[in-house]
Amino acid sequence: MKMDIVISGVGGQGNIFASLVISQFAMKKGYIVAGSETIGAAQRGGSVVSHVRISDKAIYAPLISRGQADLLIGMEVIEMLRHMRLLNPQGAYLLNFMRIPTVLNNMGLDEYPGVEEILEGIRKYCKNGQVIEATLEAHKLGNVQMTNVVLLGALVKMMPFFEMEPVRNLIEELSPERFKEANIKAFERGRELVQ
Amino acid sequence: MAEDHYVMGNTAIARGAIESGVRVVAGYPGTPATEIVEDSVGYPGVHVEWSSNEKVAFEIALGASLCHVRSMAVMKHNGTNVVTDFLMHVNFTGVRGGLVLISADDPGGLSSQNEEDTRILVHQYAHIPIFDPSSPQEAKAMVKDAFDLSERTELVFCLRPVTRVCHARGIVVFEDLPEGLPPAHYEPDRNRFIMSGVEMPEFGGLKRPQIRHRWLNDKQNLLREIAEESPYNWIEKTAGKIGIVGCGMGYTFIKEAGQFLEERMPVLKLGTLPLPRKKVREFVDGLEKIIVFEETEPFVEGLLKQLFHEEGIEVEVLGRSGFVPSDGELNVQIVLDTIRRAVPSLRVVQPEVPPLDVYIPIRTRTQCIGCHYRGILHALKRVVRKTKGVVVGDIGCHDAGSFKPMELQSTIYCMGSSIPMATGMRYAGIEVPIFAFIGDSTFYHNGIMGLINAANQKANINIILGENQVTAMTGFQPHPGTGELITGEPTGKVDVQKLAEALGISYRVVNPYDIRDCRKALEESVKEQGVSLVVSAMPCYLLSTRKGRNLFEAREIRFDEKRCNGCMICIQDFGCPAISYIKEKKKISIDPQLCVGCGLCIDVCKRGAIS
Repeated sequence: MKMDIVISGVGGQGNIFASLVISQFAMKKGYIVAGSETIGAAQRGGSVVSHVRISDKAIYAPLISRGQADLLIGMEVIEMLRHMRLLNPQGAYLLNFMRIPTVLNNMGLDEYPGVEEILEGIRKYCKNGQVIEATLEAHKLGNVQMTNVVLLGALVKMMPFFEMEPVRNLIEELSPERFKEANIKAFERGRELVQ
Repeated sequence: MAEDHYVMGNTAIARGAIESGVRVVAGYPGTPATEIVEDSVGYPGVHVEWSSNEKVAFEIALGASLCHVRSMAVMKHNGTNVVTDFLMHVNFTGVRGGLVLISADDPGGLSSQNEEDTRILVHQYAHIPIFDPSSPQEAKAMVKDAFDLSERTELVFCLRPVTRVCHARGIVVFEDLPEGLPPAHYEPDRNRFIMSGVEMPEFGGLKRPQIRHRWLNDKQNLLREIAEESPYNWIEKTAGKIGIVGCGMGYTFIKEAGQFLEERMPVLKLGTLPLPRKKVREFVDGLEKIIVFEETEPFVEGLLKQLFHEEGIEVEVLGRSGFVPSDGELNVQIVLDTIRRAVPSLRVVQPEVPPLDVYIPIRTRTQCIGCHYRGILHALKRVVRKTKGVVVGDIGCHDAGSFKPMELQSTIYCMGSSIPMATGMRYAGIEVPIFAFIGDSTFYHNGIMGLINAANQKANINIILGENQVTAMTGFQPHPGTGELITGEPTGKVDVQKLAEALGISYRVVNPYDIRDCRKALEESVKEQGVSLVVSAMPCYLLSTRKGRNLFEAREIRFDEKRCNGCMICIQDFGCPAISYIKEKKKISIDPQLCVGCGLCIDVCKRGAIS
């Protein structure tokens, strides 16, 4: 058994928290876990990607190589595309349809690809996936910073490997006191977003 | 009792030091090394500090070591450059209590202004032994051995982790913490610890520097024996004429790549410098060719070539001198592509992935939305445009003002170089206003010397000190202007106004959320002769938000589309990520989901379209 997961997004979206919940869940189930984070400019709106590797055998590299990811979680659209080719086309993706323009997009010097182009590109690459609006739901629930927890909710619905109860307990355990209740609500909402 | 923890490499390194009985840990923040210092906090009897710079940190570590106490100095590669002078002294005197230097490299420059390999500086130049870890768990074990070996050899031991070790996470075994550490004591040994060009009667009048050099050279034999016995070097034998050598993280990528190779290849795993010569000889026996994977320079490759030359061994050595790319980070793909080229007969079983037919824009770094640096930078941009001035930049969050869209700072080098470079430009004779922009952590690190010099030389320059009261870029570490220690304990802070008075330079303080105020101060300072200091004083926005402290009253920003003429000043001279240009309309738009209501853009718009 192996499950290689890439989570990509923009600084401030709670990428690292999501990767910690996933890693701790797998560790508690007795798997070997390894991973890596690229967090260089994370606090300033740069790209952030974390790799989480789960296996019942020894894991060497903390990074997932091309075509090896079983699951790609995109917290932002082009950040998911940037790491798309790490995903095994037979694997699955979970995309938060949130588009955060780059500085050059804002200046009108670079084009952010259009919705149709994006969705078609993704579908051509991988057939199995879910596109949800986690940030929008988090915003409705009062705080866009809960995007990560909404996505975790969707994840447990989508992948039977992630069991609902233990993941929810971990979110509760790892959330700061004042966010616990809201995070659990956001997690539940995430589950409803996946058919 | 041993316990498994899923932690970052940096946490594992800190834990290794604590388990080894380290008593003094000093460093300066820098990605990827920062968490090593932070995770050393909270153990009784251990002094942990953010020093004003890395040289200070290293000197503190040696002071402790000479009192027979274990100590650790922590830095990223740029810091190792800063400590070079001290390194080239402590190598000749040696240490008493185990002293471990952590020199973290950042191949690919993921979070750095340059790419370099400090193994060359530490080992080739200073003749200090190095451990090059391949994983968080190995890094922890190496730190523990490094303390023991440092005491046994009386030498500084260096651990050189790369980003992919520091920021990798893995399951690491935490062991018991030591109890009852020996007390500190100091007794002089002037022959060793007074580094000076003095004649030594017991060596026929030879000068001490030569005798200490001889001492260091003699130590190399002991180090070679240690390398030979080291558990961090090993051979994985198998049939074949072509072998691969993996140093540190290079080994990890080789093992990962091995899963895609149809046949195994002989592997030599290396984790120490100096090299285990006997083990190398044993490995290459019967091989025709070896490929070396190391981060980042062809350093071990060169040492191997030298060894084979000295011993008359005929083996072709390929590596990062060209066969493997000579720059950037290694990865599994590079290892596989290299092996494909070296051994065309070997089948690589790697599933093909289809191309992705979508254009992916590059995401460049900028300041946070709501950050006040954007206010002072915008004011400066306006003054520079009017006066045709030049802005010399420095390291820190404000450096994003040098990229698109603002493109304000003209240069960025290393910590503290802005003020001296501005001084040099002034004395070159250019006749436009010259500005140096420096953040406060950088200022206390190395900038302050440049300021003292500029004041002394009466240089006619303008200095902007971005005083956000924290080392923001690396994740909010305190510095001498914060008023707080790493433990959260209050301490004094440098009074910059008094410093300016002492230096006899002009001093102005501005609120960076008030663009008009900033602009007025900058315009006044340009008219002055001599050094003019403008302090942009405001705590870091992001840190304040996290602490629940408001720096401004958040406003609802209204945008009047009719008044906008698409001049793009708010984009090109300001660049808040919440503002974007809508091509079809030839107007801007403000994203209410991203906007935090700081109101800076209100003063930016000349047409009153934002209110």
